[in-house]
Amino acid sequence: MARQVLQFIVLFAVLILVQVLVCNNISIFNVATPFIFIYFIIRLPIDMRINWVLTLSFLTGLVVDIFSDTQGMNSLACTLLGASRNTVFGLYVGRRDELVDMVPSVRSIGIAAYMKYLLTMTLLYCAVITFVEAFTLRDALLSLLRVVCCTVLSFVIMLGIDSFVNTKNEKGL
Amino acid sequence: MRNLISFLIRHSSWFVFLFYVAVSLLLLFRNNPYQQYVYLTSANAVSASVYKGVSSVTSYFNLHSINRDLQERNALLEMEVIDLRHRLDECRILLSADSLSLPDSVARSYEYHFASVINNSVSKPMNYITIDKGSSDGIEPEMGVVDQNGVVGIVSVVSEHAARVISLLNPNMRLSCKVKNSDYFGSLYWDGSSPYYAILEEMPRHITYHKGDTIITSGYSAVFPEGLIVGTIESGMRTKDDNFIALKVKLSTDFTRLSTVRAIKSKLTDELKEIEKEG
Repeated sequence: MARQVLQFIVLFAVLILVQVLVCNNISIFNVATPFIFIYFIIRLPIDMRINWVLTLSFLTGLVVDIFSDTQGMNSLACTLLGASRNTVFGLYVGRRDELVDMVPSVRSIGIAAYMKYLLTMTLLYCAVITFVEAFTLRDALLSLLRVVCCTVLSFVIMLGIDSFVNTKNEKGL
Repeated sequence: MRNLISFLIRHSSWFVFLFYVAVSLLLLFRNNPYQQYVYLTSANAVSASVYKGVSSVTSYFNLHSINRDLQERNALLEMEVIDLRHRLDECRILLSADSLSLPDSVARSYEYHFASVINNSVSKPMNYITIDKGSSDGIEPEMGVVDQNGVVGIVSVVSEHAARVISLLNPNMRLSCKVKNSDYFGSLYWDGSSPYYAILEEMPRHITYHKGDTIITSGYSAVFPEGLIVGTIESGMRTKDDNFIALKVKLSTDFTRLSTVRAIKSKLTDELKEIEKEG
C-alpha cells in the first residue's frame, strides 16, 4: 500500500514537471499541445473514494495552472474529469468486482477496454480545456481542430508512458 | 437534524465537486491580471526556481541567433551615435556662444533594468512571460518590457525574485502605437492566431499606408517611451467601422525565442497618474 502511494507521488511529480517544462512548449502547427499530466488522474485506483479523486484532480489541475499561468482553466477541467471518471470506466467495464487490480491498466481490464477508457478520458479533457480557453478567444472550427489534434497527440504519448510504467511495475514484481 | 447530517454525508461528493468547480470558476473569471495572488502565478518562489534552473541550461540554445541580433542592433546604434555626434558638432558650431542643454526632467525620465526570460508561452489564448528579476531588483508592476528587437509586454505581478509579464500576445494588453514619421495613432492588440502578427486598429481611413512602414509606440501611456519599434505593416484589413481601418502588423519581436529583456521604469509615470487623477 505504502509502496503504491509512493509510486503515485513519483508519477505525479514526474508528470507535472514534464508537462510544464516540455509539453507546454510543444505546439505543433499552433494546434496540437500534448496534455500528459491527466495520466495521473486516469491511473488512480478505481475503488478510491470519489471525494479523494476529486481533491487530487483539483490539486493536479491547480499545480499545472500555477506553473503555466492559466488561472482556473486546468483545475476546472481536471475536476470535471475526476468527477466523470467512474462513469466513463463503467461504460467499458461491466463488472468491477471481478478485477484483479484496481488500478486501470491493460493487464487489469484488457487492452480494448483500456484503450477506449484512455481515449474517452483524453477526449473529454481536451474538449473541456479547449472550450474553456475558447471562451476568451478563437473561433469554433479552430477549437474543434485543436480538440482532435490534442487528443490524438496526448493519447499516443500516454500509450508510450503506459508501456514504460507497466514494464517497470512487472520488473518490480 | 440526524437526517440532515446523513443527507450531507450521503451526497458529500456532490458538495465537494461543486466546491472545487466554484473555486475553479472564481479563479477563471477573476480577470484583472494585475490583482492576482502572487502564489497562484508562475512568479511564486517554487515555480520561479524550477524555471530558473531549467532556463540556466536552455538559455544556451539560442545564443547564436541572439548574438547576431545584438550585433545588428549594435551596428545600428553605432551608426546613430556617429550621426548624432555629427549633428552635435554642427550645433556646437552654430551655437558656439550659447549653451545648449536638455532640461533634466526630460533627459532622465526613463531607467532600465535587465532581466532574463525564464518561462514563456506563445500558443495559448492568453500568454504570459516570467522573468528572473523581482521587487528586490527594482521591478514594479506596470513597467514596460522590451528586448533588443522591440516591445515585449508589461509587468503585472511581482514577487521578491521573479515577476510575471503580460505578453503582447495577450488580449488583455492593448498598446497605443503610431506610424513612424506621422502622428496618426491607433490601438494594437493580438487576435490569438499567430505569434508573429498583431492587429493595429482605429487607424484613420484617409491616409495611405505602405507595406513595410514601421510601427512605433506613441508614448501616450507613459509605460513605454515614444519611438520604440513594434513592427512593420504587413497588409490592410477589412473592418466593420467605415471610419477606421485596421492594419495587420508583423511584430519585430520574435516571441518564440525571447532571452534577455529590459524593464523600463518611467519616472514620469507616477506624476502623470496623479495629474490624470486630478483631471
